[in-house]
Amino acid sequence: MKIVIAVIKPFKLDEVTAALRALEISGMTLSEVRGYGRQRGHTEVYRGAEYEVDFVPKVRIEVLVEDVDADKVASAITDTARTGKIGDGKIWIMPVETVVRVRTGEAGSDAL
Amino acid sequence: MLALTFPPPGGTGREAVSRGKKLFAMTLITLIALIVVSQFTHHADPTGTKTGATADYLAQSGVKKVELSQVGINALANTTGHLAIAINFSWLLITGFLVLFMQVGFAFLVTGLTRAKNAGHMMMMNLSSFVIALLAYYAVGFAFQFGGVSPIANLGGASPLTGIFGHGTAGLIGFHGFFLQSGNSYDVGVLAFFLFQVVFMETAGYIIIGAIAERVSFAAFILAEIAMGAIIYPIYGMWMWGGGWLSQLGNGAFKLGNGAVDFAGSGVVHATGGWAALALAMILGPRIGKYNKDGSANAFPGHNLGYAVIGTLVLTFGWMGFNPGSTFGATDLRISVVAVNTLLAASAGAVVAMAWTNAKWGKPDISMTCNGMLAGLVAVTAPCAFIAPWAAVAIGIIAGFVVVYAVEFLDKKAKIDDPCGAISVHGFCGLWGILAVGIFADGTYPAKSVGWNGVLQPVKGVIPAILDGDKLFATHGAMSQLGAQVIDAGVGFLWAFGITYLIFTIAKRFMAIRVPADVEIEGTDEGEFGQVCYPDFVLRAETHSGITTELDAGRTPSGATTGSSPA
Repeated sequence: MKIVIAVIKPFKLDEVTAALRALEISGMTLSEVRGYGRQRGHTEVYRGAEYEVDFVPKVRIEVLVEDVDADKVASAITDTARTGKIGDGKIWIMPVETVVRVRTGEAGSDAL
Repeated sequence: MLALTFPPPGGTGREAVSRGKKLFAMTLITLIALIVVSQFTHHADPTGTKTGATADYLAQSGVKKVELSQVGINALANTTGHLAIAINFSWLLITGFLVLFMQVGFAFLVTGLTRAKNAGHMMMMNLSSFVIALLAYYAVGFAFQFGGVSPIANLGGASPLTGIFGHGTAGLIGFHGFFLQSGNSYDVGVLAFFLFQVVFMETAGYIIIGAIAERVSFAAFILAEIAMGAIIYPIYGMWMWGGGWLSQLGNGAFKLGNGAVDFAGSGVVHATGGWAALALAMILGPRIGKYNKDGSANAFPGHNLGYAVIGTLVLTFGWMGFNPGSTFGATDLRISVVAVNTLLAASAGAVVAMAWTNAKWGKPDISMTCNGMLAGLVAVTAPCAFIAPWAAVAIGIIAGFVVVYAVEFLDKKAKIDDPCGAISVHGFCGLWGILAVGIFADGTYPAKSVGWNGVLQPVKGVIPAILDGDKLFATHGAMSQLGAQVIDAGVGFLWAFGITYLIFTIAKRFMAIRVPADVEIEGTDEGEFGQVCYPDFVLRAETHSGITTELDAGRTPSGATTGSSPA
């Protein structure tokens, strides 16, 4: 099993969710985060004083999948979250040792 | 793997259709029933032309018929007089309630413009300023300010308020009405007047919050409110509105126009609050991390600009009581001019601030647009009854520029930290409003037969005098009116700034007027009240470099006295 973690632009969330639902993934976790990549932050003015927006608001999604599905999920996110402009985000995939369903105690693939 | 499915709410589709039909049928039956009911009633007086005629006069006055005799005419006159005063009472009380609602607007405004970690502290200051200053004003402030203001024709005289101390006609302080009892002041006219005036004092009382936010100790704030309600506001207010010497500059040796004129308190209320706020902000020093070592200013964005906009609009609504109510009666039909002028200046101020920040900083600044709107309101408050609509727009435009320049000046040059722009909006634009009377008043108000605040001649400023070809330097002429306004503005500044600076220079020897540095950094909600405004949220991390070094040094940047930190 693998976990696919993606940091994307918040307004792309609906499209990404729809694409992942079409792949029949079993669930996903979402968090609102802030960060920067190569685009860095930007400068704004508040009441005449400049301030740096170092961290830009992003959405982070995590999806647990079978090994064979990981690339499919990643490319679905890439296709839907891309705007072609800086700050589109990143995806990374990591191996998962095991997964346990809290309600039943099932472990491994059964728990997905 | 399972795909999620969402059943439609409310059971199956067939049930939903059936329920929809039932609801439709019931609605139809209700509408038919309403039409049927309407046919059973008689039309008593739906146009309102029959209500309020001779029969109502008889019922109100207690006479059996309108007699064609001196007795009958006297009864008629009595009832008419009572009616006029009743209309004025209603007007005064309702506009007073509108001014009271401004407290809500201000709470939203200043809380929105500060950081979430201090939101509870901001709200608590708004609440406590109200109750504490109100009691201080009830105990002594009202008597100092209005103890000798009688007679007030629009309110039936308010005859008990005749206690005045001063020189000739120029009063210094009043002394009837302590605790609304002394000098037989337990009287309907006095109490109606008290309600309207106490909410004005509250306005000056909460203005200071904007400038001392996020660092003042709650104890010092309470002291400031007692001082405001008992001394700072009432004394200068007496000189202007209570029969005092500033309003009498037109008499005696000076002969300056009609004396200093301030219709609804650009000076008495707003400049007083603004200059007191300036003194407090200077004594407290800037917030930790506000200024970098090279002297450049950091921005501390407010945590809810939506609150700031709501607050601004609520304040604008409340101003519809603040200015039009200052006639003390609806029998003075100038109220429509006052109300329209107020809105014109508010809009002009907001538009200028919006356009100016867009031109200068690249984008329109939301909080500065709020400040611009309030700047227009503050500036038009003194002149609103004496000017034509075009002048209200002009005054608002200038106020919009005054406020943005003042904010930049205080923030970048003077290095006085004013988180919400209170000094710029209320101090600088209040001063502009006082002067604007002497520039724009067009000589149409007050009516000679009615008068206002002891002024029995129409007030005229420099520009209308030039346009009308008047002699500018005549005795009581336009230049002397402007002179009276300049004196008023200067005296107001010296009094409010000076007395506040004095009180808190003494007070800081005896108490911690500023919260400890760690409380300021962690948030005054937790440190001062042990409760936070937003317990369900993780608050934003702050990354200003200045904070750590100042914490290490164990002091606040101004060197102001701070208390020991709680264990």
